[in-house]
Amino acid sequence: MKILALFTIFVLIFGTASTSLVNDAYAQNDPNILLRIAAQADEQISQQLERSYGDSIPSDIQTLHSQGQMAVVSLEKSLPDDIEQAREDFLTAMKLFQQISRIISESTTEAKITRSDISDRDLKSELNRLHKYFQNLKTVSEKQNTGIELSEIKELFILANEQINSGQTSDATQTIEEIKSLIISIKQHIQDSSSNSASDRVKKFILNQLQKIQTILDTANIDPNSSEFVEAESLINEIENLISEDKISDAKIKFGELNKIVKIIKKSIHKIT
Amino acid sequence: MNPEIVPIHRKESLGEDGILFVRTEGIIDTMVKIPLLVASMIIVAAIMPIQSSFSSPRTLDLIIYPDGSTHVSTEIDVDPFVTDYELDLFGSTIDNFVAVGENGFLLTTDVVGNFALIETFGSSVISIEYDIHDLVSKQGRVWTFSLDAPSDFTLLLPKNSAIVGMTNLPINMEIIDDKNQLTLSNGQAEINYLFSTNSIIPDPIDPVNPTSTSDYLSYALIAGVVSAAVIGIAAIIRFKQKIVKPIQDQQLTQTTQKIETIDTETIFKLNPDIREDDKEIVKFISDNGGQAFESELRKKFLQPRTTMWRAVKRLERNEIIEIEKKDLQNLVKLRKNMEKEE
Repeated sequence: MKILALFTIFVLIFGTASTSLVNDAYAQNDPNILLRIAAQADEQISQQLERSYGDSIPSDIQTLHSQGQMAVVSLEKSLPDDIEQAREDFLTAMKLFQQISRIISESTTEAKITRSDISDRDLKSELNRLHKYFQNLKTVSEKQNTGIELSEIKELFILANEQINSGQTSDATQTIEEIKSLIISIKQHIQDSSSNSASDRVKKFILNQLQKIQTILDTANIDPNSSEFVEAESLINEIENLISEDKISDAKIKFGELNKIVKIIKKSIHKIT
Repeated sequence: MNPEIVPIHRKESLGEDGILFVRTEGIIDTMVKIPLLVASMIIVAAIMPIQSSFSSPRTLDLIIYPDGSTHVSTEIDVDPFVTDYELDLFGSTIDNFVAVGENGFLLTTDVVGNFALIETFGSSVISIEYDIHDLVSKQGRVWTFSLDAPSDFTLLLPKNSAIVGMTNLPINMEIIDDKNQLTLSNGQAEINYLFSTNSIIPDPIDPVNPTSTSDYLSYALIAGVVSAAVIGIAAIIRFKQKIVKPIQDQQLTQTTQKIETIDTETIFKLNPDIREDDKEIVKFISDNGGQAFESELRKKFLQPRTTMWRAVKRLERNEIIEIEKKDLQNLVKLRKNMEKEE
């Protein structure tokens, strides 16, 4: 028994220690990727400079680019032995390339991409996002056996895809709007059809919590005539009544109020002890 | 159980103050009950990760679309004893928000500005997916992604995008469907990219799963722990002289009960968007008789636990596989009725 117990301790300690070692090892996964990213960034920056300035690259940009290229060369030399130096070189190179790309682009004003930015609206991206959203809802719907008919929206996705591919932008936009409104109704349908099981879960949860709160109140060494105590007891009764009457939303609100009072009571218990 | 006190007989070795040297063997037995110690350690080991993991994302995956919008997908451990969970969103322009509890129920949410109030009511893990338009900005031809991430995360860049600047060291990089996917550490990250025809970063070693010497060290360590655990279990079984035969029989039955091979081509036809690395997983499961433990998949594809877990969850979302709990492990099975449902 003693040997087994000691062995268990050993496995626990070694297991815990090795996990942290493994995490560290994973954090250093394949330093070659640093070179791959930096080399590609260098190539892209060179192309951008060529495109923007041709043979007359401004001297400040040229200096930054040369420094960046030197850092890439140093990075290549540092690998695979000197990982720390390689990391330093990588960050140096990428920050320099970042500076250059900012300088190249600084003539234009920065525009954050938002959904209201219609000029940059990419219908394909929008359709893909909606499809992902739909897939999530479909999974939920199937798990809850809602029986919601989804063939119409599936057809609309296919249609929108075809319209985008054939360049029928306005038709595609219209189809996407139809998809959006269908998704809203599907979500609503799921919420409605699952409201019974959802309210059962909420009921069960609140009743369990009420029991625990009641135990805290019963065992707490506080004045039963204190305003918090009286209010908590009254809220418990009220919540129980609301649940028995199936008024779940009201019960949830009252439960929130009760939780606040219980927190105050708990604090006063801690002060006493 | 009697502590054995052995005085040092050689008089000259006694210290000036007459210190007695005592054999320590048996002191632990006497002072502390070992089973109690073991139980305490197990409880501490079990509680520590739970305490540190509440409200912290288990996984965080981001996909950037060509128009700069970003899909966020995360799983968060939450306290099952509270009614709701307030989630900090990465911005305020949010679309397509879905929060699902661990039983697959749609959770009621209220998204206000940068926050989402989710009624968890007893869930201990919640899955959240949403689209956000605040993480990427564009200046000229250069797109900039910036995020202060609460945990390590993966970032799938759009097709034909080429990285031209970044402030952080990536943990890993993979190529998925001709797109670069970076794994980055928590904290502030900024990545600049632009669209180019020559955007895929070539990998001379292995385009899907680069493996370094440090990986082998990790696997060796894991193998060490697993071996130690296996030896320990074997010792316990031997020690207790329990009947082993029924377990062996059960294992044999389990092997023989493998479901008939499922045509992977049909699966791929029905799911044209399935990723190449996921296809390999499906093929392996199919060749394995239609089912495999997640641990087997990790061993086969030399993937970290979280990467494989995400892959399996992806396949489950696409309804290609289903996950069953068996012997405290995840048994991944190809779904038989895929065609019928479609």
